[in-house]
Amino acid sequence: MEIYLPIAEMSVHWLVILGMGAAVGLLSGMFGVGGGFLLTPILVFYGIPSEVAVATTASHLTASSMSGAISQWRNRAVDFKMAFVMLAGGLVGTFAGVWLFAYLRRAGQVDLVVSAGYVLLLGTVGGLMLNESMRALRAYRLGQPARSSGRSHHSWIHGLPLKVRFRESRLYISVIPPAILGFFVGVLSAIMGVGGGFILVPAMIYLLRMPTNVVMGTSLVQIIFVTASTTILQAIHNYTVDAMLAVFLIAGGVVGAQYGVRFGARLRGEQLRLLLALLVLAVAGRLLFGLVARPDELYSVVTGTP
Amino acid sequence: MKAQVFPSLLIAFLALVPAARAEDLVSGLSQDSIEITSNYAGSTIVVFGAIERPTTSAAKHDIVVIVRGPPSSMTVRKRDHVAGIWINNEQATFYGMPTYYFAASTRPIDEIAGRDLLDRYALGLKRLEPSSVRTQAPAEPFRLALIRRKQENGLYAEIPNGVEFLSETLFRVRVPVPAEVARGEYTAEVYLFEGGNMISAQVTPFYIDQTGLERQLFNFAHEWPFIYGTSAVAMALMLGWLSSLFFRQSL
Repeated sequence: MEIYLPIAEMSVHWLVILGMGAAVGLLSGMFGVGGGFLLTPILVFYGIPSEVAVATTASHLTASSMSGAISQWRNRAVDFKMAFVMLAGGLVGTFAGVWLFAYLRRAGQVDLVVSAGYVLLLGTVGGLMLNESMRALRAYRLGQPARSSGRSHHSWIHGLPLKVRFRESRLYISVIPPAILGFFVGVLSAIMGVGGGFILVPAMIYLLRMPTNVVMGTSLVQIIFVTASTTILQAIHNYTVDAMLAVFLIAGGVVGAQYGVRFGARLRGEQLRLLLALLVLAVAGRLLFGLVARPDELYSVVTGTP
Repeated sequence: MKAQVFPSLLIAFLALVPAARAEDLVSGLSQDSIEITSNYAGSTIVVFGAIERPTTSAAKHDIVVIVRGPPSSMTVRKRDHVAGIWINNEQATFYGMPTYYFAASTRPIDEIAGRDLLDRYALGLKRLEPSSVRTQAPAEPFRLALIRRKQENGLYAEIPNGVEFLSETLFRVRVPVPAEVARGEYTAEVYLFEGGNMISAQVTPFYIDQTGLERQLFNFAHEWPFIYGTSAVAMALMLGWLSSLFFRQSL
């Protein structure tokens, strides 16, 4: 049965949308990421206008991170103070991002910036993860414990003012780095329809040096609010949130995520990270190909005043 | 209220056709509105009609049927190879182009009448001209590209032998209406030619609109964007919460 999407103004098969939501949900449950970086490109490949894909994915991420955050909160694995500081930066970031998005849309460069942004981000993050997981796997095979970088490490971050004590993270650091990190992720959320978990999680571990057990829950809480803000702002500025599309994506996504969590529990951390790294690099490669290869059609048409 | 300008202009033109002979042609539509519902995947509207007076002279009758959608502005962008990647570079914005255009005739339109007449009524895809253009580059390649892309999407079409005669005088035309059509007022125009002259014409309007839930969602999103966005978030939060409750025991 076809369903008609009132905002995208096109009809799609409901099973396809449900399936996409479930597949992305499965991966996000397995790897503990939101999966926005997969969902947005998949929706665009399927023919959903990229403006609608970016905005609607944000509401899908609100649902999936809500589901994940509740489980983490039950395990007391959330640093609310840290989430609040990052959120302050994040909300400003979404405002800046939605404004920038509307500007790019008028200039006709949304597709370019979204694709190029994905290639850069996914290429970098995927490359780093691949490198790290390969080393961890090799160390495991040789029977050595993986080298963990010491928590006593002093970096420039500790020289900044406005220091605050974060009890759950056992940290005493300046609020500036987490706020800037939040801002950056807010901009990304608005422009690219990602939650930013795949940037937040490594940044919180390696840059802020938060303990791994609170990182996931804290980033999920931050993502709920950032994607909620993005959804509302996109609805106001660009009228691009398709509620019908969102319902089917979410329904598929939440079920897929639950199975993903169970499936992921059977694999070891390094193996999971290696798989995720390969997946991320594959998406980056596909998007890079789209930018570099000569397109079949040089002209594109947009109806209505952008 | 740009949407109303075109049909009224057209009706003014049609008044120029000799009125005494208007009864030569009668035409109608299979339905006077198409409603886009939740499972809308495109449909067909049938334009039918009859030539009242059979051919007396040796000259053959020709029929041209045009269906036009509501006009809109359209921006055409061309990608260029810049620094190794393909980016949108030059662009042209056309105002007043129909969002949908379908032409069917008894034989190729160019053979039916002279250029002036065809130009005046914009009969035939290649005669579609915007009311105005905004561009820094020559507009013609962009106009041709627009028409070509719209044809690929099924929103523009021209079928030289698309008029089906059921008898000497009775004819019909099947007009495909794809799922991606714009909402608004459409016109179905039927022109009767004899020996290269337009001897009769009729215009019938019809409407395409969303109904039911889709209509309400669309209006909601555009009239109350803040409440719409907030509701979308509330729905997402609730679904996320419900799923964590539902799967809590089984995990």
